[in-house]
Amino acid sequence: MKSELAEEVLGDLDEKFYKVLEEKGHRGARKIYWLQVMKYFRPFAIKKTRLRLPKIATMQRHYLKISWRNLLRDKAFSSIKIGGFAVGIAACILISLYINHELSYDKHYQDQESIYRIANNYQSEEYSEMWTNLEGPFKPVLEGNIPEIDLVARVVLWRWGKVGENHIRPSNTLNNIYEGGFFYSDPELFEILEVPMVYGSQKEALNAPNSIAISKSKADKYFPNENPVGKQLILNDDTERAYTIGGVFEDFVSTSHLQGDFIMTLKDRKSGPGTSGWCCTNYNFYVKLTPNASKTAIEQKLTNVRDTYIMDKYREIGKNGLDDLQKHQSYYLQPVQDIYLNKQNIGDNMTHGSHDLVWIFGGVALTILLLACLNFINLSTAKSIKRAKEVGLRKVVGSQRSGLIVQHLTESSFYSLLSVVLGTLIAWGLMPLFNKISAEALVIPWTSWWFAPTLLSGALLIGFLSGIYPAFYLSKFNPIEVLKGKASSGASTSFFRNSMVVFQFTVTVILIIAAIVTQKQFQHFMNKSLGFEKEQVVNILGLNSLKENEREVFKEELERITAIQSTSLGDYLPVEGGRNTNFGFELVEKKGLEEGFEAARWMVDENYLETMGMELVSGRNFTDQSLDETSIIINESMAHQFGLDDPIDTQVVDMFDGTYRIIGVVKDFYFESLTSTVRPLAMVRGKGRETISIKLNSSNIEQTLAAVNSIWEGFKPNQPIRYSFMNQRFQRMYEDLIKAKTLLIIFSILSVTIACLGLFALSAYSVEQRIKEVSVRKVLGASAQMIFKLLAGDFIKLILISIAVAIPVGWLLMDELLGDMTNRISLSWTVFALASLMALVIAIITVSFESIKAALINPATRLRSE
Amino acid sequence: MFYNLVTYIMKETKLGDFEETILLLVGILDKEAYAFKIAEEFEAQTDRAVSIGAVHSTLNRLGDKGFLTSEMGASTAERGGRRKRIYTITASGQRALQESRDFKISLWDQFPSLAGGNLNFNI
Repeated sequence: MKSELAEEVLGDLDEKFYKVLEEKGHRGARKIYWLQVMKYFRPFAIKKTRLRLPKIATMQRHYLKISWRNLLRDKAFSSIKIGGFAVGIAACILISLYINHELSYDKHYQDQESIYRIANNYQSEEYSEMWTNLEGPFKPVLEGNIPEIDLVARVVLWRWGKVGENHIRPSNTLNNIYEGGFFYSDPELFEILEVPMVYGSQKEALNAPNSIAISKSKADKYFPNENPVGKQLILNDDTERAYTIGGVFEDFVSTSHLQGDFIMTLKDRKSGPGTSGWCCTNYNFYVKLTPNASKTAIEQKLTNVRDTYIMDKYREIGKNGLDDLQKHQSYYLQPVQDIYLNKQNIGDNMTHGSHDLVWIFGGVALTILLLACLNFINLSTAKSIKRAKEVGLRKVVGSQRSGLIVQHLTESSFYSLLSVVLGTLIAWGLMPLFNKISAEALVIPWTSWWFAPTLLSGALLIGFLSGIYPAFYLSKFNPIEVLKGKASSGASTSFFRNSMVVFQFTVTVILIIAAIVTQKQFQHFMNKSLGFEKEQVVNILGLNSLKENEREVFKEELERITAIQSTSLGDYLPVEGGRNTNFGFELVEKKGLEEGFEAARWMVDENYLETMGMELVSGRNFTDQSLDETSIIINESMAHQFGLDDPIDTQVVDMFDGTYRIIGVVKDFYFESLTSTVRPLAMVRGKGRETISIKLNSSNIEQTLAAVNSIWEGFKPNQPIRYSFMNQRFQRMYEDLIKAKTLLIIFSILSVTIACLGLFALSAYSVEQRIKEVSVRKVLGASAQMIFKLLAGDFIKLILISIAVAIPVGWLLMDELLGDMTNRISLSWTVFALASLMALVIAIITVSFESIKAALINPATRLRSE
Repeated sequence: MFYNLVTYIMKETKLGDFEETILLLVGILDKEAYAFKIAEEFEAQTDRAVSIGAVHSTLNRLGDKGFLTSEMGASTAERGGRRKRIYTITASGQRALQESRDFKISLWDQFPSLAGGNLNFNI
């Protein structure tokens, strides 16, 4: 508010206030008072503020003013310059935040240096692999023999027992609620991972048998405002085995590799998880070392302990291939902060960040920033002719070259600062979209102490880098020549500019190629014939709260619905979220002579193959009778591994000496990722406990599901039905690919935009330069087409060069990226043709605007002035 | 910068409809012509709501155009002892009002249905 207005305005407002007070009372008067105040926000009443920067030298202020005037003089050009830059910076900020997030996992521990996970490390000439699963009895061995290991905790994360999803209720309520995030652990886990406790202690929370620890958010959900320690949770209506809450822990921080809300203890269990012996590798091991313990020394000790102690145990259970094992296997202690991105590619049962994606996006971010910088440089030098007179005059009145360089650096820093501000705002606006695509929950860290300084110094650095060339170039002009009007962009600068355009478009074409290839690869996966039917199959989940006979009855009732073709009770599914167990297998006659191999072992019923649409190559399916108890169906890959041409009726034996007779061979189907080959798989007869799959033969899915639901409610009124479509679960296996695909598409669009903005401004500039030439040509009889060819031809040549460079580079890059992945697409010429065509068409359209305008002008208007 | 642009455009001497009304009200209120009173009078006369800010801004604009002058008047208790700015119409303001009125009258004079005496708007 202007000070000279204050008195009268306040007086008027007061008078109004008291008048309204009489009529409408206090509240109304206050409201109206503020309304009136708001309505005073008009230009005439607001105090004019002037930016005063007394500390900056006069020349600097002058430079800023000139920059501002230049910016205003050619608004279209300036907005292209700043806008293009801002878009690049926005992309860069988003990607940097993403990368920063991915790299920030598990860095929050106090004893950061002493928390490790144990991994097996098998290295031989033919074969190398690292994986985390170890045998359960390893724990007491570690505790008893290696004093430098302070604490050991085993966890079970693969779907064994109640790991994963369950339906739970506190013992005093009736309604089952679906929850995920269950796993088993030893009590020491809380101490090792320094998990803060809300109720209970780190030591005691999981110490009692059958105890469970729950996260704070779940405690608030089920036991609001009370201490739930000692209360009971019932899982899947199994009232006989209720779990007692031993503690409440603070939710795992979002940057922890380990996530989960319900941790069940492994201690003193009678069966299942926690009780398996030297036969089976079921556990991940976390350890905390004593201070100053040496990592390599402990790795050596682990191997020693195995040789002196564990080998005997292996021999006792008759494990094969021990010599190889002793020769090639060792142990590796993986630092906790490496677990999330998992760059050593250690096999475990966790979700990981993608190490590749971090690299790819880092590269893309830098490239886009580089493109934006080049654009900036390009546009600055393109305008140089317009600035040449200014430079000449400055020199004449006594400006030093250094002064001119400072001027242009100030100008570019000023522009880059504007762009960074704009870019930050764009990034902020695009954040929700970016989060949706990348499935992260990133926020712009406005309040972090490093954010503003980083941006500021980034802006100045970029401004400096992109201003340095134009500054030296512009300050070089000879004042006599430019003032005579002889300034011309020499061959060297146009070469420089042209190569920048070529570079920009090369990168753009490569990005387009990458986007098309990932899109095609994704399509290829989705349309790949998998060997099973995923479109018409629905999985009904959460059956483990039914009793065994109820499940049978439920299945029978479902089969009575005519729209359901077949149903199968089985937990092993060829999509995400299915169970998987691995057993060692070998032929009976070779037992003990050769080392067996590992195969997936699934338990399925007699309707499984039909429901899933899997095909038998030879032999027969299971029948309903008990005679199939020792029958086994294997897949082609397993038959191949056995080296059997006709495997029917062959006897095989598993690692627990169970003997089976092969009755059928199922055609290979993909039950794991399409990026690897189909592993051996054996199916034995058995029933699932959690999942029933139904195959629909009608297109009216909703109606059928409604019918299914009404049957379900007859069995479980206290638990809402839960189901999932197989094709959706299949798609979820390729989330990384979907992410990469979407982001690549977005970034290639961005890069196209930036490159086109630059090209547009350049073509406009070149048209402006040559407008007199064009006019003269027209006067002499050139047609509009010829003019267009003349003006656009130069640029199109550049684009063609870019395409010629981009295709081989893109081919090599993509070939490298796809690698020797199974089911990769072959890079056909159509991909490259499509990308080139897109780039070319976009470029021609961009250049056309100005060229056509120039080709159609009336030459008289332009020549008249001379 | 934009402010200058706006005032530049506004430095014309045409009288808008709202401006004309305000100018007339200033004349009517005479010694009591200050922003709050004018706003009150406007609401009373036209039955349309208006904020003091809007009136003040118009008064200010009319001042810029040279139709009004103003000076700080006496203070009163109901305004918390603050003085008020009293506006008075200048000669050129008078002239502008006069012109506006004459112009409209001359338009009305040319209006055929009135001149012919048969008022019929349901064409």
